[in-house]
Amino acid sequence: MSIAAVVNLPPVSGARVLLETSRALPLVTVSVGLRTGALLDPRGKEGTTRLLSRLMRRTGGGLEPHVIDTRIDSLGASLGADVAHSTMVFQATVISRSLDAFVDLLVDVLGRPGLAEAELARLQRETLAELTDSLDDDRGIARRFFRRRFFGDHPYGRSVSGTAKSVPEITPADVRSVYERTFVRDNLVFALSGDLTEARASRIAERIAEALGTGPAPGDATPEPVPVPGRRLVIVDKPERTQTQILIGCLGSHTRDEDHVALLVANTIFGGTFTARMTQEVRSKRGWSYGAYSNVPFDRRRQTFSMWTFPKAEDAGPCLKLELEMLHEFREKGVTKAELSWAKRYLVRSHAFAVDTAAKRVGLALDQTLYDLPEDYYARYLDRISAVTLEQANAAVQNRLSEADLLVTVVGTEANIGDSVRGAIENLSSSEVVPFDRVD
Amino acid sequence: MSSKLRDKRLAEVNASAPPAGQVTHLETVAFGPSLAVERFRFGNGLELLFCEDHSAPVIAYHTWFHVGSRHEREGKTGLAHLFEHLMFNEVEGRKAGEFDRKLEEAGAESNASTWLDFTQYNVSIPKDQLPLLVKLESERMSRLVLRDPQVKSEKEVVANERRYRVDDDVEGAVSELLWATAFDTHAYRWPTIGWMADIEGFTTEDCLEFYRTYYAPNNAVLVIVGDVAEAALLKRLSQAYGAIPASTLPLEDVRPEAPQTAERRVEVKKPTATEKLTVGYHSPAMGDFDHPALSLLSEVLFGGRASRLHQKVVRELELATEVRAFVGPFRDPGLFEVFASAREGHTAEEILAVIDAEFERIKTEPITPEEIARAAARLELSLLAGLETVDGKASTLGFYEIVLGRPGAAFERLETTRRITASDLLRVARRYLLPRYRSVILVRPDLSAESTEEAAQ
Repeated sequence: MSIAAVVNLPPVSGARVLLETSRALPLVTVSVGLRTGALLDPRGKEGTTRLLSRLMRRTGGGLEPHVIDTRIDSLGASLGADVAHSTMVFQATVISRSLDAFVDLLVDVLGRPGLAEAELARLQRETLAELTDSLDDDRGIARRFFRRRFFGDHPYGRSVSGTAKSVPEITPADVRSVYERTFVRDNLVFALSGDLTEARASRIAERIAEALGTGPAPGDATPEPVPVPGRRLVIVDKPERTQTQILIGCLGSHTRDEDHVALLVANTIFGGTFTARMTQEVRSKRGWSYGAYSNVPFDRRRQTFSMWTFPKAEDAGPCLKLELEMLHEFREKGVTKAELSWAKRYLVRSHAFAVDTAAKRVGLALDQTLYDLPEDYYARYLDRISAVTLEQANAAVQNRLSEADLLVTVVGTEANIGDSVRGAIENLSSSEVVPFDRVD
Repeated sequence: MSSKLRDKRLAEVNASAPPAGQVTHLETVAFGPSLAVERFRFGNGLELLFCEDHSAPVIAYHTWFHVGSRHEREGKTGLAHLFEHLMFNEVEGRKAGEFDRKLEEAGAESNASTWLDFTQYNVSIPKDQLPLLVKLESERMSRLVLRDPQVKSEKEVVANERRYRVDDDVEGAVSELLWATAFDTHAYRWPTIGWMADIEGFTTEDCLEFYRTYYAPNNAVLVIVGDVAEAALLKRLSQAYGAIPASTLPLEDVRPEAPQTAERRVEVKKPTATEKLTVGYHSPAMGDFDHPALSLLSEVLFGGRASRLHQKVVRELELATEVRAFVGPFRDPGLFEVFASAREGHTAEEILAVIDAEFERIKTEPITPEEIARAAARLELSLLAGLETVDGKASTLGFYEIVLGRPGAAFERLETTRRITASDLLRVARRYLLPRYRSVILVRPDLSAESTEEAAQ
């Protein structure tokens, strides 16, 4: 099975429609994707797009939130929205016997969103309370500070959820303005799968598209991020931590880079799996961290390469030192031929689980479209992996990853870990300690 | 497959199988409207549940052992979970770590979990890699190598997992405290991950004894779902597992919990910004007649944003950011757990008062048919959505087999749920949701001092 099983139906009002029919279960998934996301939040009003998506889900068709929630549940359906920097996707699943009634509701949510002001105010209060709750999540705190400090003023540094400062600033007019700019037909991609025909899928897409306005899609003018020079350390101070959360990162990859796939393969060897170098050295040999992984995500512009571990407080310094040494060796010596062969076999064979259901295959096709990946990105993905040579993998590591321009973020109790963490980083160019509840 | 054809194929398999590998077909079990599960037993007691599914060229291969934290004893808590980690390490004739390395090279997705009643190992693999997987899985069932350095290192890993999931996690710590407060005698009172002192104290001999005692074919169930033909699978399994002898399993030292007679309440300080509340009512075992009704009632009250308590506590009164509940799906009676996170300026007691008022109301006013239908539809969607992959199917089959002894019980339960009436909900509310059966943990925020626990009464 592959993404080739996904059918491109004739576009509806300019919107692309992707479908794979599957009768395996009496379920239908409907994803409505937008090519824009939280990057369109007005400056100082981070969180607007996410608030919009949640508000639409609550007030579509001018209905009361309780009415919508009850109707969705009673139909045997689920509906939510994922907002990222560059995209937004409304994800729905419904038991197929309820599909028609559910689509009526979906048309209301997307095309007649209500956007009641009283509900927006309630949602802002809820969001602020959730931001407070999120301070219990050390991993989430580490990721938040890492992103903010790594990208700085670049739009990727902004919070999708918003901040305690930005969320109260968002007005009904801001929310409505983002809706009117982004919910236009040209900005949409439909992805459907499951127990429905092509004709029915087209009709669903038509009904939703016709409920939306016309006009140009906003586009994405985000500049490429530029690395901040030097080796920087941010210690996020939180009391009573027995453990730390460590993120180390530099600029990573772009899907249109010639060496993008080569870097993915090399990362698989370094920290991409349970038997990769990081897990072996940090977890298996030393027992320092329950997990130890590295990651190369993608977006429309270059994203980060990052390493993640969570050792106990006493091991934070030695673990960080080891990780930096491993990164150095990774860049200096590269990977071996045997490791490369192993990684290619792993990536090619395990791809079976990225495409083992119709919903997953359609999901990949949707990502490919929304993120402007090369048109054959997934169709030729396995061929590209198989073709990576040792020289290409090692060149990608050397050219893309940096030891000089690096950000280290550590969440922990500074009094217990500060000295050992600072001592673990050679040539440290800057160091700061920030209270855990002061993310801006 | 006709029974005649199956008998012929089994005869072919058994002709070349060792005695412990002789296989018998026991039953065919319906698994929803379109799938069937075949139950087999090998000569050494190993059971197999097999569901042929050609929807994708992949296979889910789960090994479920009838051993969980309930089989541990004081001073040795967490051994089942530590052992789960050790099962990925070294096997006779192979280097340490080779198991995972080879599986990843084969494109496998693998993981494992331990809970109160079971330990399960799950691997999903492209179908052409099945021979390797059968070999590796059968090897580790009987030829695991346990040495001091591996046990020492894995104890460190588990200690770090405990710090991550419990010690530095408010919810994890509070849930652990709730179960320790609610249970006096039953083994459900200690956490699956174990107390830190016990984790640090395990010896290699403890692990060897545990392996010899519980990791036997007659204490395991293989659950295999996917794109493979039955006869070929049986032949391969028979050869691979047929050399493993059965063991004499110990009698489980079950200590039933005496009925709780008065509310238990504990206050604890944690480094968190807002108050938290968790409440545990003693609830029936998964196999109890009342369990589906109590689960449906939980869905009416706490399931999703349309539920009564979400509407009241989160939306209307804005006391909490979230409120949720969970009816323990265990072999023995467990807890109906409620959790809520208060908003700034509000207390756990305020939330508890609203929950109490609603619990009193449902003991006198019947739940409406619309609410029952809503909750039942949510449970149906949840079941179906979990069956999209072969791994999801194997997980569902294995869980119901190990807890209830009926692999297709997920769909039986769905049918039962559809027959539940308002009277049933009235009955379970009056029977289980009583203050004297509950334990309450109140979390007070304290971002400066050491965390403390104190019994409030």
